[in-house]
Amino acid sequence: MPRVATTPKPSTFEPVEDEKFAFGKVDLDLLSEIKLLDERFEKEGAVFHETNLDAYLNRVGMAVVADRKLENVEWKFRALRDPVPNAFALPNGSIYINTGLLALLDDENQLAAVIAHEITHVSERHTYERNRTLRKIMLTMNIINTIGNWNPIGGPAGLAISLIASVSPFMLAISVLGYSKDQEKEADLEGLKYATAAGFVADGMPNSFKAMQRDVEGEQMNSFYSDHPKLQERVTYTSSSISADARKLTEEEAKTAKNDYLAVMEIADRHDVELAINEGRFRSAVFVSQKLVSLHPDSSENVFYLAESYRTLGPRNAELTDQQRTSGAKKKAAKTRSKRTLEEQDAELLKTPEGQEAWKANSDKSETLFLRALELNRFNSSAHRGLGMLYERLNRKQDAAGEYAKYLELAPNAIDTERVRRRLAVLRESMN
Amino acid sequence: MRVFVRLVFVILLFAATAEAQYLNPKLLEKKVTIHSAALLPAKVEIVKESAKGSEMMVAESADISSSVMDAVGHTLQQKKINVVANQFEPASMDDSRKYQLADIQTRYDALLPKLVDKSKDVKKARFTLGDEVMLLNVHKDADVLVFIRGQGRMFTKGKTAFSIINIFDLDFPFATITVGIVDARSGEVLAFTKPMSASKVLKDKKALNKMIEKSLKKLPTTAAP
Repeated sequence: MPRVATTPKPSTFEPVEDEKFAFGKVDLDLLSEIKLLDERFEKEGAVFHETNLDAYLNRVGMAVVADRKLENVEWKFRALRDPVPNAFALPNGSIYINTGLLALLDDENQLAAVIAHEITHVSERHTYERNRTLRKIMLTMNIINTIGNWNPIGGPAGLAISLIASVSPFMLAISVLGYSKDQEKEADLEGLKYATAAGFVADGMPNSFKAMQRDVEGEQMNSFYSDHPKLQERVTYTSSSISADARKLTEEEAKTAKNDYLAVMEIADRHDVELAINEGRFRSAVFVSQKLVSLHPDSSENVFYLAESYRTLGPRNAELTDQQRTSGAKKKAAKTRSKRTLEEQDAELLKTPEGQEAWKANSDKSETLFLRALELNRFNSSAHRGLGMLYERLNRKQDAAGEYAKYLELAPNAIDTERVRRRLAVLRESMN
Repeated sequence: MRVFVRLVFVILLFAATAEAQYLNPKLLEKKVTIHSAALLPAKVEIVKESAKGSEMMVAESADISSSVMDAVGHTLQQKKINVVANQFEPASMDDSRKYQLADIQTRYDALLPKLVDKSKDVKKARFTLGDEVMLLNVHKDADVLVFIRGQGRMFTKGKTAFSIINIFDLDFPFATITVGIVDARSGEVLAFTKPMSASKVLKDKKALNKMIEKSLKKLPTTAAP
């Protein structure tokens, strides 16, 4: 396992004994449901397991936790197989970081910041408190709604009751979401304290938000409300709470930290590329596989992942243009995603000159990279399969059939041999 | 008048089981015949709704998922479709098998909103999961994969009281189930059905079987080989 970028100092953080929070029946009911949900993630293959990664996440997580002991909490740190950049905490102490977020972060300090944020949600019992608040609000809403529906009072007083009834669900919903925003801010600021107390560099917190601002897929939109404060706002308030004499990484240290983190994440990142492709997040796949190639440019496997990402990117541009980053364009793109299948989106893009240009550039790049992967390792069967699929789409049937045949020869027992055999049979039939 | 219309709507919606079923022309034209089917683990999520909001019912959701799978299997067998033994028991799968299954389920979940919104397009053969479905390697045993999803709301006594008092808010317990039948080789969606009923059906096996049977009524019966 590679050297860890910043070895945490022994914790000087005073553990907070959870004296002020007393579990009630409602909380215990929620806890038992949460435990079942946690087990379900494992059963359904939602958790990504890789020995080194599991150990690494646990080491970083436990460094932040220090000796903090809480009733009904068992700390666990796991990677969730999801290419969307996100992390969340269950109140039983299970912290999940999506592979999509692991791949987006740059170093261990940023990872520690994300984990510290989630640990704060657990330590401060945010889920239980939010659940309690929501229950009170829901009951109030139901009562107000009932009064509104059966309002027997006429005149101005009656009108006022009706108005309150119609407006209240909206107002109450806003107050719930606002409360949550406060919790998020608390998690940022307290998390920053936890992470620095554990010896991680404080800049990891604002830098993690900056990493998330990349918005590779163009999904971040300014909605009327959102449960997290805006990322730029988070960068500002966490940066301003860092003392001027706080330790900072030198340029050289930052570079080393980045490479060390990437090395630990290499297998998870490859897995994330597969997930991103499976879920149609092709720009993310290109972004992550480019990181992989920058780490090990001579790794046939990493070059293969980049080739595969460009192949599946199809008629899209690898990076969003300024126009595509505008709020209107993002909304339009989201609408298209919700209405059209990926195949339909591809077909529509291919009707445009921009789409055709992008497809030409991506297919050329993909072919070059597949060939490079084979140059680095001529037994890389996956590169033959990828080339076969690329040639098939380019209608180079003879070449495609040749590549599929090579794949089957090199990997006769692979999981997808039947799939490739079927494609080969269809190709051969169409050539006759 | 408005109240009357709403009342009629409520009665129509909940007194009878609403159902809708859509078949790919390949099935109707007998270009594809279903002899055998593999049921993927169902995902039916139910929540308990009280006057104080919703609560998860994780264990109950798992039980109901299993009941719905049984009901779908039973209906398919009645149509002379052989239901292959469950190959997706969590305990019998290693991590890589679990991941393959999860990825195919994710592909289906991504397509599901479009299937629900534009169900009629199944008749135009618009939807496919792609030949990635072959990674599950069940095509040797089964012609089709069956995806089952559902949602349900169970009301507590308190919530029931509120829903009766506020009857015209149309806030009632319900269950919706969707069944997608997908070609195990090409990934093409061959059939899709989305029955809806009052949520009590989830607790009553007979009613559940009946609802699923009705919802798959149009699926052609396979002639004995």
